[in-house]
Amino acid sequence: MLERETPLVYLKNITKIYGFHKALNNVSFDLNKGEVHCLVGENGAGKSTLIKILSGAIAPDAGEIYINGQHFRSLTPRRAIELGISTIYQDAELVDSLTVADNIFLGSELSSKVSFLVDKKNQIKRAQEIISTLHLPLVADMMVEELSASQRQMLQITKALYREAKVIIMDEPTSSLGMEEKPALMSIIRELRDRGIGIIYISHYLEEIFEIGDRVTILKDGMNMGTYNIADVDIETVVQKMVGREASAFFSRRPVEIGEVQFEAKNITKANLVQDVSFSVRKGEIFGIGGLVGSGRSELVHLLFGAMQPDSGEIWLRGKKLTIRSPEEAIRNGIVLVPEDRKKLAMLIGRNIIENTALVHNEFFRNSILSQKEEQKLTSSVMRELSVAMQSELQTVEELSGGNQQKVIIGRWLLDEESFVLYIFDEPTKGVDIGAKENIYELMVKLAEKGKSIIMVSSSMPELISMSDRIGIMRHGRMVDIVESKTITEEDLIKRFIGV
Amino acid sequence: MKGQGKTTLKELIRNQWFFLLVVELSLAVITGIVNPRFFNISNIMNILEQVAVLGIVSSGMTILIILGEIDISVGANIGLSSCIMAMLIQRSSSPILPVVVGIALAVGNSFLVGLTSRIFRAPSFITSLAFISVFQGIALAITKGSFQTIYGKFETIGMARFAQILPLSFIISIGAYIVVHFLLSYTKFGRRIYAVGSNPSAAYLSGISVTRTKLTGFLLSGLFVGIATMVLLSRIGAAQPSTGSGIELQAIGAVVIGGTPLSGGKGRIIGTLLGVFLMGIISNALNMLRVNPYLQEVTFGCLIIAALAVSALSSYRGKGRS
Repeated sequence: MLERETPLVYLKNITKIYGFHKALNNVSFDLNKGEVHCLVGENGAGKSTLIKILSGAIAPDAGEIYINGQHFRSLTPRRAIELGISTIYQDAELVDSLTVADNIFLGSELSSKVSFLVDKKNQIKRAQEIISTLHLPLVADMMVEELSASQRQMLQITKALYREAKVIIMDEPTSSLGMEEKPALMSIIRELRDRGIGIIYISHYLEEIFEIGDRVTILKDGMNMGTYNIADVDIETVVQKMVGREASAFFSRRPVEIGEVQFEAKNITKANLVQDVSFSVRKGEIFGIGGLVGSGRSELVHLLFGAMQPDSGEIWLRGKKLTIRSPEEAIRNGIVLVPEDRKKLAMLIGRNIIENTALVHNEFFRNSILSQKEEQKLTSSVMRELSVAMQSELQTVEELSGGNQQKVIIGRWLLDEESFVLYIFDEPTKGVDIGAKENIYELMVKLAEKGKSIIMVSSSMPELISMSDRIGIMRHGRMVDIVESKTITEEDLIKRFIGV
Repeated sequence: MKGQGKTTLKELIRNQWFFLLVVELSLAVITGIVNPRFFNISNIMNILEQVAVLGIVSSGMTILIILGEIDISVGANIGLSSCIMAMLIQRSSSPILPVVVGIALAVGNSFLVGLTSRIFRAPSFITSLAFISVFQGIALAITKGSFQTIYGKFETIGMARFAQILPLSFIISIGAYIVVHFLLSYTKFGRRIYAVGSNPSAAYLSGISVTRTKLTGFLLSGLFVGIATMVLLSRIGAAQPSTGSGIELQAIGAVVIGGTPLSGGKGRIIGTLLGVFLMGIISNALNMLRVNPYLQEVTFGCLIIAALAVSALSSYRGKGRS
């Protein structure tokens, strides 16, 4: 590679560490002029981290960055743009209340003769020029709020071209597009490539990669599993490289006796998010839910918990049909949720561990006046059971480590265990160290042994396979498959996630 | 929350309330040296009487601010409620029913501020801003802008002194602090207030009704505003639409000076109590020291900024207070 012309981008031995987790481990990556280089990997494999480093959003902990042969330790977003690196995001940062042209020139408006006024006419003319060279379905004086998802993407590409981008990064560009809009995007990408622009293309959909890519790099657990010419590999090989771990990544759990069906979801539907999902969970069963990011997993469990209202569908618990209009009603009926985003959805920042733990219990408490002694006693016993490392129960919850925070949040749902039937865990071990992970797994098995039904949404395939009895697979808002986890491999699982 | 058991000297010094207390005592001592009349029993009782109404309003405001809400219409609410209370007293033989009606009106007004904020998903700052005009406008319309005197028909609460010394109004304000302290620290509702103020989404997902909790907060704050109206009317003996105006800023100032951040989820009533006292002492001291009344306003503004600085600096150092 190197004896040819200098690559546009060369990332050398990049490492990025978050806490105890190596998001990227000694990864190298290069991009040439006029090439589409694809980046694939599971959720959390390190793709986004790599892109963030290249676009200057974060700095690597080790490694070197070469842009056009020029060496950098790290980049800033501004520097990256100056160097001609543009990222097209899924959720575009566009200003809805301005026109297409205004958005293109945002931050570098053309001045008219009066120096602090914007020359709108000229902006619109220049914008239309760029748009027409690419034959894009855009009009320069349209308001951005009127644009479709696909047009917004085109606008971002136009903006990148205006900034004379040499490298364009596309992160899941087809995820927001309809079937019929994909071919248009593909032809634009080819056009850009023929102009000598280097494109980094990230997608979960492998068939797109084989359609558009020149080379592909596979990331897994923050490591580069290989870079190949597309012509030299097939889907099988790519999938194999994306998965496959040593046995140590798997947790071996005790089997639990499984009883009758306790929970049933029937035809749960919410427009654009979840389509017609039905499944049941038995007593003592851990039901995993897997799928790619954006497949509707979290939305599904929020619907079951009443945090969102389904358009249609039924929820049955222990043979009784429930109407759940709020989390409050779900909890009263015995359904609880440990949400994915601890900080946003679970922790009472600034409050102590007792208040955080006793939060739900207090709601069950009959008197209006609380027994502080009882609160403290219950909290202590649960914190001991979960072996939470802390100095005192009067510490505020944000002072704890991620794993211990998660245990406090889970502990919230253990004080009144006997009233609960279904436990939903959304990414229970996200951002949690290995020790705490095992505590949490152990606790889930214990709950199952007590006859609880458990739903576990997870992005980690070893976790899904080793903890679940069955796994429901979500794709585009549908539960397309339910598989026995004993018989499934990571490879099968990812194929079903992607749908190949 | 209840770390008092093992408070070390270091923690004590870091504590904003301790800091406030020291400031208040030093101010009192300095003023007393310059003008010994400051320490006359009658002057001290005068201060206590003057801070009573502010204290009652600030108690309710503390609940709202911990909830992450605010009500800047409390002054206008007092204006409207006191006018109605006064007009009803003029027309009836016993003040009891008019007072009850006036308090109920204050509760209803405050509830409206909260309700519109929840229904229209607008910050309560904005809805209460709107209600300032509504309350004031109604008060002006029904009184035609005139002064409503009650000719000494309802003096007991404002004028009575316990054991000939302690003003009854001050005892009522202490009652308000105690009620709020009890609510915040020992009840289920108190826990909900902190939970909703700290993280509404987490509270909601834990089965707490955020709307119900916030509206209850507005009802309670309205109740305190009503009681304050009663005390104020009884003391002044008359009402007009502008009665109470400006008290909202003093109350918010007192709460903030007491270390309760406007972002919610934190704070205790003891801070508010000290904040209210500081306001009272400073205002009295400035009078004693014959400072130009216009400059007194400037002093209040600077005071609030200073309080913000103290709490910002103490949170830079990490922990410190609950």
